[in-house]
Amino acid sequence: MNTFKHVSETPAALAKTVKKWLQHPGRRFGHLTARVCGGDNPAIEVLLLDTLTGSGVIITARLENGEMEYPSITAEVPAAHWAERAMGDFFGLRALDHPRWKTLILHNDVWPDDLFPLSPNSQAHRERYQFMEVTGEGIHEIPVGPIHAGIIEPGHFRFSCAGEIITNLDIRLGYQHRGIEKRLAELPWQQTRYLAESASTDTAVGNALAHAVAMEQLLGIDPPPRAQALRTIALEFERLSNHIGDIGALSGDIGYSAGAGLFPPMRGAILGLAQLLTGSRRQRYYIKPGGVERDLDGTRRKTISQELSIISARLEELLPLVFENSSVIERMEGTGRVTRDLAKDFGLVGPAGRASGSDYDARRSYPHGVYPECAFVPARYETGDVLARARVRADEIRSSIRVVNELLEDLPSGPFAVDCHGMSPAPSESGIGIVEAWRGELIHWIITDGSGAISRYAIKDPSFNNWTGLAIAARGNLVPDFPLCNKSFNLSYSGNDL
Amino acid sequence: MGNALFTIFKTGIITQRELFPSLPDDANGLPTVTASPCLGGDCGRCAGICPTKAITVVDSSVTLDRGLCIGCNACIRICPSGTIARDLSTKTAVSTREELILSSQSRANVVPIPPKLPFKRSLHIREVSTGDNACDLEIIASTNAVFDIARFGVHFVASPRFADALLVTGPVGKAMQEPLLRCYEAMAEPRIVIAVGTSAISGGLFRGGYAEANGVSDLLPVTSYVPGDPPHPWSIIHGILLAMGRV
Repeated sequence: MNTFKHVSETPAALAKTVKKWLQHPGRRFGHLTARVCGGDNPAIEVLLLDTLTGSGVIITARLENGEMEYPSITAEVPAAHWAERAMGDFFGLRALDHPRWKTLILHNDVWPDDLFPLSPNSQAHRERYQFMEVTGEGIHEIPVGPIHAGIIEPGHFRFSCAGEIITNLDIRLGYQHRGIEKRLAELPWQQTRYLAESASTDTAVGNALAHAVAMEQLLGIDPPPRAQALRTIALEFERLSNHIGDIGALSGDIGYSAGAGLFPPMRGAILGLAQLLTGSRRQRYYIKPGGVERDLDGTRRKTISQELSIISARLEELLPLVFENSSVIERMEGTGRVTRDLAKDFGLVGPAGRASGSDYDARRSYPHGVYPECAFVPARYETGDVLARARVRADEIRSSIRVVNELLEDLPSGPFAVDCHGMSPAPSESGIGIVEAWRGELIHWIITDGSGAISRYAIKDPSFNNWTGLAIAARGNLVPDFPLCNKSFNLSYSGNDL
Repeated sequence: MGNALFTIFKTGIITQRELFPSLPDDANGLPTVTASPCLGGDCGRCAGICPTKAITVVDSSVTLDRGLCIGCNACIRICPSGTIARDLSTKTAVSTREELILSSQSRANVVPIPPKLPFKRSLHIREVSTGDNACDLEIIASTNAVFDIARFGVHFVASPRFADALLVTGPVGKAMQEPLLRCYEAMAEPRIVIAVGTSAISGGLFRGGYAEANGVSDLLPVTSYVPGDPPHPWSIIHGILLAMGRV
């Protein structure tokens, strides 16, 4: 069971209550969504986190008598702005006085304006998406996407520029919407792990782990210590491979070919170890509720350990090529800044948050794998620029290697999974899996109905918080520096669009 | 600067010389159907456990559709008769949708369609991602120094105007259908389409929902199918070389 407290509130007083609860230090906005319960009346569900105690509160606000509007939370708590827009798309609820009210994922040019997938009987109608318009002398717009120039996911960026300087960036996503949340509430729970893991396939381990944690709360089981250790190794491999790849990609966007050429094979080396551990390079379908799919025998453990020390030594040679190279540093320093205050207001997570002075790392607050027992003080920088985000990654590469080494050294014995296939989830409960994935805090939030079936499955990808960070970072920068800003965040489009 | 050059020289050539090496013995790989007799409809455990309904068992014949298979290996673990087994080959790409369907019963031979071969020496590819970023990462991996797809004359380009092939990853939900078709229309003929990953082939786990994320096969004529979730970089290279008529 999780330690989240349930409270009720009226929709009218919701925003004030949320703001009041968040005033204490260490508390942050987690997620916000709705569900349809009893008849067609939707209830707004707000998840607030207390990162100091590893718990939080779920505030439920029921809308009565066909009411479809409520006073916006965003007006009081800016971090809620995307979640409220997503709720508008999927449930037809309208947040009154939301400062940027428009669609987030389901736009009228593609989807019927009366389609509300998670609230089928809604009578609402969506309005057409309006790009934010910047006016003034010499202001011009540059539209980019949905298909970008590189091998990368689709999304539309609308730059408003004064000459070469970006004055505003409007990010319009939703191109990869695949209807995941609806499907997850239709499947028997034993089958949900596959789709839940695929929300953003580059974060397969993070998603699978968040799903498993949430599901295990509902089933009332604890995975064995050996499974927890193996899951953590998989999670850190995922972080390592992506951070190493990102430093290579940053080098590529700077035009520093040595970095762009030398780092990708190191990512591949980590993926090779991941394959030894889990059976596949991307560690697919390895973590499941109850444990993991396969054990790690002594031979493979030894191989991983030996290879990892070679990789670690090699990385210590390669990282200075980037971080002690003045021409690389100069390009990153001061580029794409997000101030500490804005990062806090919009609830940036992961390396992007910690590059702007945040000390929040879900590994220190919420149970997943061997955390928070084996948590460590996370890397943290204050400048909030591309360089700070790159440095957080470099530091996390080192800390992840350390964690994996420690776990391999002292792997708990015992079973690697418990069988829970025949069990049923607790009825009318919430399972909340919070994981520090490689991009940051990832939440899987499963709500069951009176019979124990999943009635609502909400996923909050770290990118859901951080896209706004990218829009802030781009402001005031040169258009040609945008790819660098973008790569320093390296956000998931599919995790946002679901 | 001197340091970077020194490191590059010291690294030497790391490109794999052996083409399409098999996966290591303990890797997952895709399932295949062997000659080992199936216990039949009374067992049917593989069909029951498959999350994408890629397997059907009728009497004692098993049919496995790799175009739906996500490679979770649940069927391999549960099969008591060894009829479904692990395939560690990385040469998994095929040129017709029918070839992805494996069966324990001998069927009329599917004749692979030989490609029209306008791109035998070189292929320029426009990649379009539609919701499977692990596939994108494996495609990026195929361009690195280890796999080095450029040695086959294959390059990824920024504009459909420069491209000979459209390479699609992800299940192509409703919101990506028009951009994808417009990208295809912007390409000069002759042009081909390569579907990489199970979700691109059939929609995989996403198939059948309101988002119409059913893959690219129904939208555009596909020359080469690369199953897997995601496929190994060598399998991706296999699919691209297959589309070029080189394997």
